[in-house]
Amino acid sequence: MRKAKLLSGIILSGILAFSGLTAVPAAAADEEIVLRIASWEDYIDLGGWEEDEVIDLESGDIFAENSLTDDFEDWYEETYGRKVRVEYSTFGTNEDLYNMLTLGDVFDLVCPSEYMIMKLIAEDQLVPLSDDFFDEDGEYNYYIQGVSPYIRNIFETHEINGEYWNKYAAGYMWGVTGFVYNPEVVSREDASTWHLFEKEEISRQITVKDNVRDTYFAAVGALKSDLLLSDDFRNADDYPERLLEEMNDTSPETIAAVQEYLQTIKDNLYSFETDSGVSDMVSGKVAANFQWSGDGVFILDLADDVDYYLEYAVPEEVTNVYFDGWVMLKSGISQDPAKQHAAEAFINYVSRPDNVIRNMYYIGYTSVISAAEDGRVFEYADWCYGAEEDEEDTVDYPVGHFFTDDAEEAEDYVITAPADQLKRQLFAQYPSEEVLDRACIMVYFDREVNEAANQMWIKVRCFNIADIPVWAWVIAAAVIVLLVTWLIRSRKPFRKAGLPAGKRKNI
Amino acid sequence: MRFSRKALGIPYGIFLLLFVAAPLAVLFYYAFTNGSGQFTFRNLTGFFTDANTLGTLFYSFALAFVTTVVCLLIAYPTAYFLAHSRLKSKSVMIMLFIMPMWINFSLRITALKELLTMIEGNLACYPFLNSVLGMTYDFLPFMILPIYNVLTRLDQSLVEAAKDLGANNTRTFLKVTLPLSMPGVMSGVMMVFLPAMTNYVVLDMLYNSTYIMGSLIGSYFSAYNWHGGSMISLILLGIICLFTLLTDTDKEENVRGGTLL
Repeated sequence: MRKAKLLSGIILSGILAFSGLTAVPAAAADEEIVLRIASWEDYIDLGGWEEDEVIDLESGDIFAENSLTDDFEDWYEETYGRKVRVEYSTFGTNEDLYNMLTLGDVFDLVCPSEYMIMKLIAEDQLVPLSDDFFDEDGEYNYYIQGVSPYIRNIFETHEINGEYWNKYAAGYMWGVTGFVYNPEVVSREDASTWHLFEKEEISRQITVKDNVRDTYFAAVGALKSDLLLSDDFRNADDYPERLLEEMNDTSPETIAAVQEYLQTIKDNLYSFETDSGVSDMVSGKVAANFQWSGDGVFILDLADDVDYYLEYAVPEEVTNVYFDGWVMLKSGISQDPAKQHAAEAFINYVSRPDNVIRNMYYIGYTSVISAAEDGRVFEYADWCYGAEEDEEDTVDYPVGHFFTDDAEEAEDYVITAPADQLKRQLFAQYPSEEVLDRACIMVYFDREVNEAANQMWIKVRCFNIADIPVWAWVIAAAVIVLLVTWLIRSRKPFRKAGLPAGKRKNI
Repeated sequence: MRFSRKALGIPYGIFLLLFVAAPLAVLFYYAFTNGSGQFTFRNLTGFFTDANTLGTLFYSFALAFVTTVVCLLIAYPTAYFLAHSRLKSKSVMIMLFIMPMWINFSLRITALKELLTMIEGNLACYPFLNSVLGMTYDFLPFMILPIYNVLTRLDQSLVEAAKDLGANNTRTFLKVTLPLSMPGVMSGVMMVFLPAMTNYVVLDMLYNSTYIMGSLIGSYFSAYNWHGGSMISLILLGIICLFTLLTDTDKEENVRGGTLL
């Protein structure tokens, strides 16, 4: 999860390190594979569920006693007859991870966001996934058997430096960006456009993300709103390509326009937040919160617990579809086939449908795994959001576009849900096909653009010396003059007033 | 080898070397090099020619100054009252002022956030005021303690002498007590002013979205610009040194008498 939950992260890595250590003596050192994994804080099921947390699907109960990494160690030994020890670390932001790598931390398998994956591919830091990994007949190849065709298509069609993503990366969790909002204050219509930031009716009641990329995307969405909504643009044959191009426009003019836009809306915002948005939204401090869909589900769940009704909307103009994915690092794997095997096995293990459900339950984000053949992931979605039999106001919500690429089969993937779910968790967890049609990815900023974007961000956030009013300069000058005169004057009378240092001590 | 008292200093020496000297060297290296490792002054000149970094410096100064003044205005009378009261519960009182320091700082700010929200309605309307309040809440004990400490040790015979010689209360305070308590005030000011310039967590938690020096450094590092970030850290270090030199007038004794923490 992108939320920074430092404490749980520390505890998590502590537990895992400890459990790993205790496993050491059991196997000869030369046999054991050490797999160093780095992922987001709070981004994998830690087990230890309460008994009433059992997910009682018709196909069987799902329950987690141990952490997923512990279970993986056992599973790997049972399946492949070799001991593996997972050393699990966590990071708070993609930039933190990158700085850790630069500073010499070594990991075998990491789970950054799509743009960091692109950066790592561009810098040739990654080991390609093996051909075996993509063999759909492989008994334990849960990833390739289960990955959603929608996600698979994105990974197979997006390239960086002439190489497709799927050569190096396997997806983990995904989502889109939008707004969590309080329908009593904000209309759904207002929340369905990036112009929401400008609405004076909710002045200082809306938050934006405290990072350049998400905020940049939102600002471009607002700036190009007219174009993005125009019929000509929408109906163009090359709509997806043009959308991608427009939203990844990092020309100096656009950056300047974004800066101006952010400076004008800055006073209309409640805050730039990294994780406080969740609690501020639930406690009612803000009326709308620019949010990733995964955290959106989390917020709506929290609000439901205290009977506070919130909804989730995705702007009509465009939305940013994002991923976190597993990639293997050259610096860690270092051509060790055993290690690579274990790393790929780990990706497959967390892609096994029951483990996918465990993770989704624990994290709240949507897995890239649809596991159409197995069926349990869809069963879980229905278990979560399907209406009770006696419920009256229900709607049929199709999710086939995510679960299958077969038009006929798609008709089977319909969840009959309470009507409000169309604006709530189900919609955030599995955005409708129409939303995904207007979704596009945001590519990584290269060195120059990154610098320009960061400069832009600093200009938005910093106080400009030219904005300092005259009275402030006058006060500052007066203060300095006073302090200096006091410093000079205070020395003389001060010494006269007191006794010499030596004598004073003797009194 | 014979054990000498100098050997006791070894642990601290190692600590100093590892966690003070070595990082400083790294800081210097990054501050004066560019992306390809060449020596450059560009980071330095860049700081002093950029309207935003200078603006941030000004804003940090302003925030720290106001915080310090507010702390001082609250702390001096409090410390004076505590030091001169005949209350038996004096130690309890001083404990009450120190107690917040036992509670984790982010917890305190979170509590303050809720309180301020109740009072102000919407925190985002008064970012500067909230930051000052947060910092004051956070740093007040650091101002009270050194002043209290100096005032309790103040030689009462000097005060009595002043009164004997015909000075009224105000005059005694201005001519005797205040000058003699200056060392405590100075060390209190140091302990409030400098952290207040960089403690951006308070601003983050109370939703002041304007950067101060601390957050500016952070933004450079998250944009992989370690060189610019290091230079700003170094400049801050320079400012701190300058302050220490300026305020440390009556050397040894002031420090001993004034510093409690």
